[in-house]
Amino acid sequence: MTRETAYCFAADLGGTKLAAAIADARGGIVAELTEPTDRRGAAYVAEQIAACADKLAQTVGIEVTRARHVMVGIPGAIDPRTGRVSLTPNIAGLEDFDVLGFLRDRFGPDVAIENDVNLAMLGEHALGCASHCRNAAFLALGTGAGLGLLIDDKLFRGARGSAGEIADLPIGRDPTSQIPSASGTFELEVGSLAIVDRYRRQGGTAAATVRDIFRLLEQGDEVAASVLDTTARWVALAVVTLQSLLDLELIVFGGSIGVRPELYERVRRTLPALFSRPITIAPSRLGDRAGLIGAAWAAGQALRQNPEPA
Amino acid sequence: MSTPMPSPPITSVTRQLSRRSVFEALLHRSPISRADLAKVTSLSKQTMSEVIDAFEQQGLVRPVGRTSGNVGRTAVLYELSPEGGHVLGIDLGARRLTVALADIAGRVLAEADEPTDSRGGAWTLDQIARLSDRLARDNHTHPSRIRSIVMATPGVVNPKSGAIEMAPNITGLDHLNVVGLLGEKLGSPVVLENDINLALLGEIWHGCAQNVDNVAFLALGSGVGLGLYVNGRLVRGENGAAGEIGYLPIGGDPLQAESRLQGCLEYQIGANGVVRRYREAGGSDVDSERQVFERAQAGDPIAAYVVEETARLTALAAAAVIATVDPQLLVLGGSVGARPDFADKVARVLLQLSARPVEIRTSTLGRRAGVVGALSVALRRLHDEFFGVAELAMALPLPPPAHRNARQ
Repeated sequence: MTRETAYCFAADLGGTKLAAAIADARGGIVAELTEPTDRRGAAYVAEQIAACADKLAQTVGIEVTRARHVMVGIPGAIDPRTGRVSLTPNIAGLEDFDVLGFLRDRFGPDVAIENDVNLAMLGEHALGCASHCRNAAFLALGTGAGLGLLIDDKLFRGARGSAGEIADLPIGRDPTSQIPSASGTFELEVGSLAIVDRYRRQGGTAAATVRDIFRLLEQGDEVAASVLDTTARWVALAVVTLQSLLDLELIVFGGSIGVRPELYERVRRTLPALFSRPITIAPSRLGDRAGLIGAAWAAGQALRQNPEPA
Repeated sequence: MSTPMPSPPITSVTRQLSRRSVFEALLHRSPISRADLAKVTSLSKQTMSEVIDAFEQQGLVRPVGRTSGNVGRTAVLYELSPEGGHVLGIDLGARRLTVALADIAGRVLAEADEPTDSRGGAWTLDQIARLSDRLARDNHTHPSRIRSIVMATPGVVNPKSGAIEMAPNITGLDHLNVVGLLGEKLGSPVVLENDINLALLGEIWHGCAQNVDNVAFLALGSGVGLGLYVNGRLVRGENGAAGEIGYLPIGGDPLQAESRLQGCLEYQIGANGVVRRYREAGGSDVDSERQVFERAQAGDPIAAYVVEETARLTALAAAAVIATVDPQLLVLGGSVGARPDFADKVARVLLQLSARPVEIRTSTLGRRAGVVGALSVALRRLHDEFFGVAELAMALPLPPPAHRNARQ
């Protein structure tokens, strides 16, 4: 009897798009696809993830059941004891939906979910710019702000799985002098909505998105430059905070805004004035695929550790 | 009738493991009989007798009585002998020097403390040796019995030079080989470790953080610092500088020269910062931050304002810790941090700030935390020296603080 080659299924669920891949037993991606995230909420998104697996299996020409190990990145905190998902404002109903249970019904027992930025950190550690590091962070800046941490060569999740949920870092306008709000403070300074809002408040007119602001910057728009200076300063303060707390070797910048050299170069220039010891930052090498690559790698690792069907 | 099976040859690792498991059982279950030791360790009676006989010869165990069973013969009960070896813990603080002596079973035998010699440097090292010798002598312990010494120190130990760096509150130790000189004076190698890390380990062994896997210890006193303990290990960072939260960009302008040198947060809430802000707010002369706290309690509105502000900034730092590392428990320690009235203020602000409240406790060991933590590391090192097994890279669990009942 010949044994069939084993495969993995990996997905990276975001608020706007869903990326998925079939990977080989080493976690190397064989086929992948990206689609807009189903706006109707958690149950639909879960079905969408399963449908992606079917489509990809068809592309590769295998039965979907051969993808035994599954890893799905979730944009929120996952309690390591209960598997409960929290802090996921971007996908309606996800906090009350049993993602893990649904995926286990579809794929079998070898399914895991992990915070999406943690997977991006793993991706950079396995195949990207943090491969030599034992202590590093992946700072994701886009719609919101998130952090994946590698401490002593291992993912660092915290007591309730919410380590690195830095949206409410006390950086930015003084949070104690304000009425407490549902959203965090750091995110209120550097999230994409905050950046666009800052541009408008400084008298800019032509920008609806952060992408517009980057385009205007290229054209020499002074307001755009000033807005990015301010944003970079808040980000630099977060970097100093991380370095003071954890003494990292490298902080990887990722996410749609974090990877832009217009931003991280500004941050890099600001750091020496703020911190007496050197801090190393670098843009993500895997870009917006970091989470998916990390998920595939983690699924492959689980497969190698447990090669027999459960 | 078949001949008895020859027992398998005892390899050296097997022997090491047997000794280790008997020692562990004695550490946690003394007084205990040979029969019960055999039951607990699953070792044969013969192996058990060999190990116990060897331990008795080494002076590691001693008989302490007999079982009082009402049927059959009674059995001898054993416990670890205080003569098995001693450990010394030292806490070198900017203002106070504390030393403590414990036996191999973790029983704290004696402690002593005095104000740190403010002249620093060699005077401080002499003082450490003098106080340690006196403690041992008063306790009838010959220095040669002290097998493991750990000292808590502020700042960072330079592994190459043995000097203590980044400890601005103790003078003259940044150009001395503290590790080497102290080892000579005490007649035994000395291990230095950051004081906040050791205070955290002290709280985990004997204090308010027992049996918690994931603890952040925020110390506020002369300076401000953080210890992190996750899944049984201290988080040290790439260069041993994790937890240097004096440099958090909180409370002032991080671009200011003082912020860059001393740390933005420490410049505001370290002892000197509290005194400076009190003066700047119009307060009259004070010697120390303690006086500012006393005046606040006595109704001085300027002092009360400075204390509130210090609590608010401490809460902001705690919020940064919680958002980043998600601890299960936050312990507030240090001479200011452990004040219950102060901790209440911090907790109140934190409740407004953080969507994810974390349990907060104040240090129960107070200024003993560092020396107790130093003892815990010294004990682990001694146990590892006696019973370490290369194939088993895990330290023996230390006995719980109930053993302190044997304190003399």
